[in-house]
Amino acid sequence: MIANLKFIALLIKLKLSHMMVFRLSFFGAFFSDAALFVMQLAAFQAIYGQVDAIGGWSRGQMLIFIGTFSMINGLSMLICFFGIVNIPDKIRGGDLDLYLTKPVNPLLRLTFENINLGSAPLLFLSGGIVAHGAAVEGAAVTMPLILAYSALTLLMALLYYDIDLIMRTLPFFFIGTNAINRMTDALVILNFRVPGVIYKGVFKVLFWFVLPYGVMATVPTQALTGALTPLGLLYALGIVALFTAFALRFWRFGLSRYKSASS
Amino acid sequence: MNIIHTSHLTKTFRRFVKDPGLRGSVKSLLKRKYTDKTAVDDFDLSVEPGEFVGLIGPNGAGKTTLVKMLTGIVAPSSGEISVLGYFPNKLENAFKMQYAVVMGQKSQLFFELTPADTFRLFKELYRIPDGDYKRNVGYFTELFGVSEFMDVQVRTLSLGERMKMELITALLHNPGVLFLDEPTIGLDAAAQRQIRAFLREVNTQKGTTILLTSHYMEDVRSLCPRSVVINGGKKLYDGSTESLFDAYQTHKKITVAFDRETVFEAPPNAEILERNPYKVTFMIPKAESGAALSSVMSRYTPSDVAVEEEDIGAVVERIYAGGGAL
Repeated sequence: MIANLKFIALLIKLKLSHMMVFRLSFFGAFFSDAALFVMQLAAFQAIYGQVDAIGGWSRGQMLIFIGTFSMINGLSMLICFFGIVNIPDKIRGGDLDLYLTKPVNPLLRLTFENINLGSAPLLFLSGGIVAHGAAVEGAAVTMPLILAYSALTLLMALLYYDIDLIMRTLPFFFIGTNAINRMTDALVILNFRVPGVIYKGVFKVLFWFVLPYGVMATVPTQALTGALTPLGLLYALGIVALFTAFALRFWRFGLSRYKSASS
Repeated sequence: MNIIHTSHLTKTFRRFVKDPGLRGSVKSLLKRKYTDKTAVDDFDLSVEPGEFVGLIGPNGAGKTTLVKMLTGIVAPSSGEISVLGYFPNKLENAFKMQYAVVMGQKSQLFFELTPADTFRLFKELYRIPDGDYKRNVGYFTELFGVSEFMDVQVRTLSLGERMKMELITALLHNPGVLFLDEPTIGLDAAAQRQIRAFLREVNTQKGTTILLTSHYMEDVRSLCPRSVVINGGKKLYDGSTESLFDAYQTHKKITVAFDRETVFEAPPNAEILERNPYKVTFMIPKAESGAALSSVMSRYTPSDVAVEEEDIGAVVERIYAGGGAL
């Protein structure tokens, strides 16, 4: 465990060193992610400024929801997204060979080797939106509530990682998966804009169980506003445990099917 | 005791095939067709500690697949395999701590950073104690004469310097077995010579067992007392490298270049491989190469002459035709 943490710390240091080689992109990264966030916020304002409630959720709840989704997305981009997004290319091109021959879990290395410091401001901006939403909502925010919200947000970031990992593992079995990845990207954008509580019927099955993007920002928002039921909490914990177990097993199964690539 | 052992080792890949054209593509959407390709076929191999073994074969012979099975990258389809007492594809860290692999066409260096940065990562990966790390970095950089490049961006190094750094990276943790897949590919003659000298030193001084695959006959000939020839996934020859070359490398390749247009008359028994008014390349039996060269030099005024060993493909074909027996 300590060895793994030391290894992760070194990966982060090396990535930072790598980023600092390119001065423009190093400083530019902080502005580009923040600018994207501001644009998303402007789009949100243009749409939700016209309505008072969506699916029974007030404007304050929607602000918390948007901030939460943005925070989950930011955590993913800060820590692991740019590492695991390359997995399909590494599988197809045989570059996974070099990871498999090193005495460290290849998934650990892939997950942490491409942190993106440029996404860090996104977390602060998202936190600001959540705080603003809580104020608009008039929520009685206590320290235990903040801790519960933070823990659930981290768990949902793990769920986001799990789904991403499952999708990036598919090339072990199918070479062309770009269409599936584009589809899931589109589903993320959809779920970034609407709370999971509005889904009914088949959409509820799809976004609460098959690809549970609908759960991600919804559950922490419910926790912060006191709307989360014990059953909802149990469901959220269960779905994270289920997807984490499945993602890791699927990855290991994929590795056993790895064919490398001819040189 | 054998450090590497395989018995009836076989690897079969399933390959997607389709009829040509759009019609074939549409058909393949509805009904997939696959064909099996046996990359390594019923392969037996035993290597003892400290050996330096050359693995020879043309493109697609199965060399790389064999190395990938030995390093655990791909799982065998059937047969037995043991490296350092482990089943490689279990990918146990205890196993991976004891070997290293260098693939000539895949770099493990950070291109934008310095070799020292990559070395630090490997120090952590292999949990190399500080003392061993400093000693090994000093020893290998000195041996290769690359100390001055430790803090230079890898991207700016020449191909030869990069390969030296790759080898140092692989050897930092004192692996018991080193797998080398085409380590001299694309390098100039001087860099190839340096790398050969380095590998010889590592094998003799550190006792590292080395399995080398290479297209360059000179790599195998000068480094490996023992050679294994593979073609079509099957082992054709396993024995002394010297005997192999004596028996099967029967021809020399001679290239003669001219400054002006020349009508060249080939020596007797020469097989012309390439001819234009400024350059001729031909093969000639080894025993007649000296006489042929003298004849060329006396009759023409070439601007350049190169005498090379036969390429690996021709030798393997000859072994194959001869049934692999010496």
